[in-house]
Amino acid sequence: MVMVHRSRSDDLGQARTGLGLRSVETMTPPSTENPAVHVQQLTKRYGHRTVVDGISLSIARGETLGILGTNGAGKTTTVEMIAGLRRPDSGSVSVLGLDVHRDRGALRQVLGVQLQDAELHEALTVSELLALYRSFYPSPRPAEELLDLVELEDQRATRFGKLSGGQQQRLSVALALVGRPRVVILDELTTGLDPAARRRMWRTIERLKADGVTILLVSHAMEEVQRLCDRIVLLDAGRVLAAGTPAEFVEGAGTTTLDEAFVQLTGHEMEIAE
Amino acid sequence: MTAAADTAPTAAASRARHPGLRSFLVMVVSEFKMVLRDTAGMVTPIGLPMLILLTSAGSTADVDVGGGLTALDVFVIPLMIMMVLSMIGVLNMPSFLAYYRRTGILKRLSVTPVSPVMVLAAQVVVSILQSAIGIAVALGVTAAVFGLNPPTHLALALGVLALSAASMYSLGMIVASISPTPNSAVAIGLIGFLGMGALGGMFGGRDALPEPIAVIGDHLPFGAGVQALQQAWAGAPIEAAPILSLLAALVIGVVVSAVLFRWE
Repeated sequence: MVMVHRSRSDDLGQARTGLGLRSVETMTPPSTENPAVHVQQLTKRYGHRTVVDGISLSIARGETLGILGTNGAGKTTTVEMIAGLRRPDSGSVSVLGLDVHRDRGALRQVLGVQLQDAELHEALTVSELLALYRSFYPSPRPAEELLDLVELEDQRATRFGKLSGGQQQRLSVALALVGRPRVVILDELTTGLDPAARRRMWRTIERLKADGVTILLVSHAMEEVQRLCDRIVLLDAGRVLAAGTPAEFVEGAGTTTLDEAFVQLTGHEMEIAE
Repeated sequence: MTAAADTAPTAAASRARHPGLRSFLVMVVSEFKMVLRDTAGMVTPIGLPMLILLTSAGSTADVDVGGGLTALDVFVIPLMIMMVLSMIGVLNMPSFLAYYRRTGILKRLSVTPVSPVMVLAAQVVVSILQSAIGIAVALGVTAAVFGLNPPTHLALALGVLALSAASMYSLGMIVASISPTPNSAVAIGLIGFLGMGALGGMFGGRDALPEPIAVIGDHLPFGAGVQALQQAWAGAPIEAAPILSLLAALVIGVVVSAVLFRWE
């Protein structure tokens, strides 16, 4: 059953009632005992604008949770607060029981993050970047294992600035995994990648899932979310609009695809960020 | 790939340490490789000291100031060294770090166990290496072409040089910590460089300045460094005031930059 939260719009509320989706007032958190990620009533404002408005969610250990939403829904701000990059105005975040600000040092050892808008040193080669980031951790993954994981064995001597967009993205994921993290945040993992590069990236994530790594995936790509995520949280205007498995979303919305379910629930077409 | 042990962080993990000396050295080597691959970045450190000395040495190399030393030794070289250290430390180095901030390189580093202090220190070490190479090449060329006398108190001169560099770069770290873009780093750094230089004798003697302004200039790293280096070169006793001023600038720079540092 998809759990639907209170909406910013009566129209949307009526639309969901018509779809037979459950109201947020009856929603209970997923049954996760000792979750990998626990977010409670997270709120972030920029001036008078509330970007994240009381979001709560949990991710079970080993689970892959997808965060969906239109541009401006608060996805990146939410994950950056979970990663400890931004301080919430209120609410709390814990990752593997660690407070993301108080326990920053310990958090960085167990959390791997691939950011949407972060860059790497253009003049360094793939091998040099791996060596640099490996040096940050007490027991890093071997460079060869990482190159194999993201299929960049043949690019080890290539400078970052000379890699294709897909190769840069895969290296970015490899660097997020250097420290053997138990929780990984992947923000806009495959945005801008061609279909072949996207599928290679998905294979990488599936290998991570098989290893029991907890993954928080922010994405615009419905096919990706459907293939990789155990559960989805749909954000709209900084709030959780609905949560459930991909199948529950489709079933609950009475549609044939997740894309259609998304449109039904938000009233918007998904905008693909390039 | 090894399976991830999905257990709660241990007490040891909670006391997680920052990356150590080995990581710092890897970062310094990585930064230096980037400098060598971007040859345009070496123009200022190599070209500036050479330009200053070659345009000033001809008229000062044979002006005797006593003790077997020339005006080139006692006045021009200390001034050149401080100009190079302040220009690279306060202007050049912060703009590199601001570029890292603007492009998101610092943001990427912020989600690793690396501390801001390590990032800043690696930048400073690489930048000081560039300055040292530039100054050494310029001194070598000047010695070969015009003749040069070493400092009377060589060890003291090297000590003053090291302290002056540390002070100058610590002020540069403040600029690097707060500048959101390379342009803003250049703007803030330029004001710092020209202000300290003007008050410290870069454009003429301190006698040309009003006394209160000249006193302020004496205590800023540029003026204090020039004074102490001139004294070491000439074999005069080094006064405590410039040394204390350099130390104070060093402490203030490190503390303020560590507090103000922003990854984004």
